[in-house]
Amino acid sequence: MTSNREHQKAASRYGMTIDLDRCTGCGACMVACAVENNVPPAHEGAPARKGVTWIRVFKVDNGEDYPANRSVFVPVLCQQCGEDTPCVHVCPQQAVEVDPATGIVGQMPERCLGCRYCMAACPYHARYFNWWDPQWPAGMEKTLNPNVAPRMRGVVEKCNFCHGRWHAAKERAAAAGKSGIEAGDYVPACVESCPAGAIRFGDLNDSSSQPALAAKDPHSFRLLEKLGTEPKIYYHSQRDWVRQVAAAPKPPSAKESARG
Amino acid sequence: MQRTRRDILLFMGGGAAGAVLTPAPWRLVTDAALWSENWPGVPRPARGEITARYTNCALCPAGCAVRARCVSGQPVSLAGVPSHPLSQGALCAFGLTGHHLPYHPQRLTHGPVEEAAAAVSAAMAKRGPGESVAVLDLRPGRSASWTYRRSMAAVNNGLYLAPPRPLGGAAVDLAKARIVLSLGAALLDGWGTPGNVHAARANFHLIQAEPWQSPTAALADQWLPIRPGSEPALALALANVLNDPKTALSEAAEATGLTDKQIVELAHELVRNGPALVLSADDLPEALALNQALGAWGRTLVARAEAPVPEPWKKAAPERAVASVPDASIRVLFIDESVPGDHIPWSAIERKLVRDNPVVVTFAWSRQGYGRHAQFALPTAVYPELTADIPPAIDSPSAAFRLSASLMAPPAGMVDASAFIAKAAGIDAANALQQRADAIHKSGQGTLFTCADAKSTPLKDVKPADFWKALNEGACWQSGAGDSPAHSVGRAGAPTAFVGPPAFLSSPQQSTAFPLVVAFSGPHAMSLASPLMSKLYQDSDLRLAPNTAALHPDTARAAGIAGDSRALLETPFGRCPIAVVPDSSVPPGMLEVAPGPEVLDICGADTRAKVVAA
Amino acid sequence: MRIRGYLVFLAGTLAALGAGWIGFPYAIYTSRPQPVDFSHKVHAEKAGAKCDDCHAFRDDGTFAGIPSLDKCAGCHTAPMGATVAEKNFIDNYVTPNREPAWDSYARQPENVFFSHITHVKLGQLKCEQCHGDQGASDKLRPYQEDRISGYSRDIWGRTPFEGAGAGAVPGMKMDDCVDCHHKHGLSHSCLDCHK
Repeated sequence: MTSNREHQKAASRYGMTIDLDRCTGCGACMVACAVENNVPPAHEGAPARKGVTWIRVFKVDNGEDYPANRSVFVPVLCQQCGEDTPCVHVCPQQAVEVDPATGIVGQMPERCLGCRYCMAACPYHARYFNWWDPQWPAGMEKTLNPNVAPRMRGVVEKCNFCHGRWHAAKERAAAAGKSGIEAGDYVPACVESCPAGAIRFGDLNDSSSQPALAAKDPHSFRLLEKLGTEPKIYYHSQRDWVRQVAAAPKPPSAKESARG
Repeated sequence: MQRTRRDILLFMGGGAAGAVLTPAPWRLVTDAALWSENWPGVPRPARGEITARYTNCALCPAGCAVRARCVSGQPVSLAGVPSHPLSQGALCAFGLTGHHLPYHPQRLTHGPVEEAAAAVSAAMAKRGPGESVAVLDLRPGRSASWTYRRSMAAVNNGLYLAPPRPLGGAAVDLAKARIVLSLGAALLDGWGTPGNVHAARANFHLIQAEPWQSPTAALADQWLPIRPGSEPALALALANVLNDPKTALSEAAEATGLTDKQIVELAHELVRNGPALVLSADDLPEALALNQALGAWGRTLVARAEAPVPEPWKKAAPERAVASVPDASIRVLFIDESVPGDHIPWSAIERKLVRDNPVVVTFAWSRQGYGRHAQFALPTAVYPELTADIPPAIDSPSAAFRLSASLMAPPAGMVDASAFIAKAAGIDAANALQQRADAIHKSGQGTLFTCADAKSTPLKDVKPADFWKALNEGACWQSGAGDSPAHSVGRAGAPTAFVGPPAFLSSPQQSTAFPLVVAFSGPHAMSLASPLMSKLYQDSDLRLAPNTAALHPDTARAAGIAGDSRALLETPFGRCPIAVVPDSSVPPGMLEVAPGPEVLDICGADTRAKVVAA
Repeated sequence: MRIRGYLVFLAGTLAALGAGWIGFPYAIYTSRPQPVDFSHKVHAEKAGAKCDDCHAFRDDGTFAGIPSLDKCAGCHTAPMGATVAEKNFIDNYVTPNREPAWDSYARQPENVFFSHITHVKLGQLKCEQCHGDQGASDKLRPYQEDRISGYSRDIWGRTPFEGAGAGAVPGMKMDDCVDCHHKHGLSHSCLDCHK
């Protein structure tokens, strides 16, 4: 039997660029992510901020008083660190690995034993722990996505660039007899859902893709770049103060606010 | 036997040593791990054939196009339809979770249908002189709305009530705007059709005049901070400056916190960089006057057009505002809140009911809303179960007709509001949607956009049966640019300029008794949406939770409210409990609140409020 | 006297070894027959059916798996032969329109992604290479399930003696997938197969 080797294509490195001058803080990406990945709603009686939000939009201020205050909405998801990936290093179960074919940092909840070491290691706080078993209102479990396995309590989960959609794209390509997928065949749910088109997705190894172009743009920046984690999410803003806040060692002075 | 116990221990030791060399203990450990992963409480998604079906979202007047991914016919996720002429492929957080609504825990599953029908016919027959039957339709313009209007025309002293149309019945042509002055309208946060707004955004300069930095203000080209409640003063001042450059602006400057020079320059900027458009959060007559002064009428503001209706339907009761009805005169009131629409505070409605035993029947899919105040709360199908038409959105300059096509069967026992009311009025309104589709097809105008192939076909090239089939598959009909407006709503010409004292100055008592201006944060009530919306307010800080208000810490302290706590929100319409969070980005004199049904009950348009400690 | 101690110890060891290697596999699996006594051989010979006549791919490439009742009822509304098994099938399932509760030997756990079309079309694999001679069998073997984890015997566990014991098929366990991918130089990272 002849062995079918995959075409020796260069592996992909999927990344994103997020335009902070377009994000309106509507939260469509947050709910689209939860719908696609079978993330349950907040548990009955749960304290605030204990739920799972693979992507979470933060409101960041420039620290000034009225009327010089300015704000920006920043969606934060797993930054898919490419170098010295902290969570991969610390996991005692090898439940996370950087996928060589896509560059996605893939979390395997079925291997996770829930020690949460990775949550401590992640500098972006992009990992979430299932404190409770998932609970949907009666009947709503019929709306679960069969391409993604629901997780039980006691395991950590995080954004994986909707790799269930990558599986589906590869299967569609195989049905058409192709062994590789084209750009645009596969987009994560948050990218597809953003009404303002603020999130763009693509292969950083493809120099014509939006993220690859953004990577070279002087108005682009990455979060906590000085840590050397080489995240694959490039944020972009024409507004100087946004880039300055991102690069500052500490956030602007805390305002009296119980929000954010 | 000697040493029996030692034998047993030796045997067991040997057994343990041997067991370790067998698969048994290792297998038991892995099995325990696997067993712990396959917890019976964790649901398993159903598998099946995956198909795509198209519809339009009924959750707000935008009516964005939806592609539903279905597994064995059950929708499991929703997405927009790229290249759709109206919605450009965008869906908001509500639209993305619409498929959860049939399973909402607050869903109404049954109601006293027969008792309601009996009570209605008895009350209608025994009405006193001057007592009316009324239908309150929260989203006018649908074919069901026409059924209500025809029903009320067929009944003696029948009234059709609807909230006032925004912008006085005009529609906005955003593509023509080059500069937009938004007086607190959440243009980038739920106004109009989000996809259309974002597609047009690059074409206009946006000035957001607002006391706080809302999401729209954060992304506007310019945020113009003005004092809370001074939007009417600013609009009036700008209109007056354009009419007479020598107008005195000191009052307006004091009210808004801007300088005379700033107001004059703003007026000139609007003229210089036109075509201009002025929008406001509440429908301000001053904003309409300013639009007229800027020559927006006929350019960025056009007469609203709706799809043609069959001739026989035109014998219909006119639309009236609730406020125009005499107090204590409605004997039987039907309220259709099966689709979300503009909310009118309950107390404003209640005063129009007769004092002794009025009959109030609501048609809703959830237990929240007016059903809490009605004698009979009847359950209806919910999007995506119901098939209904969606009138054109406010930012649709041409007439449009599209159906929210049913993706799943509703449960047994649901009531069809238009059938119930038509029966009570004694008219036949079956197949209203198909009749309307036929009337549109007869007009021969416009184009039909079909979602699956993203093609636009002139209507005259589409056969009637194919037209109806396409509509039931989410297709959208639009009248063409040059077509005569099929059916105009509202005034035929531009509104006359408003000249008079600004509203806020005319009731000083109100401003001291209720000093806070209310701003709604976020588009309509999140508690009536999928439980997943809790991602936005409970699992994160992105939005305020329903029935939660943000206040400047000084305002909270002055009201005697400490930090994060519960309080009472009071308006001229009533009071309700809220949670208060301090936020110094909310200016003093303002209250930002995320509406739940209780808050909506007491806050109408342009309401002032106060907060007291609970 | 010490010899006696060693002997007792050895006896214990042997007993445990026997229980662990012979008794345990019987005890850990529960076995049940399939709901219908279906013969692949009869359908292949008499009806000329090939694998994908019933176990088909849909148009978009997804695999339809075990056929649903309407596939069988397409021919079997009336008895086509004289066997008791067919009569039972028609009486219990076709007439009352009840789907048989088939136990799928190869059903992978929820967290596994397997694409049939990739392996069949791109990998050029034949059904027998993973499913064994299931397609030529006259009787469906009983479905064996691990009592604790609930997984089919075919998809999890080790088969120390190749071919020994019921339920040994060429390649349904994770190790088999990894081995085959490894042998052919294909990627086998976590993300390739897990969802």
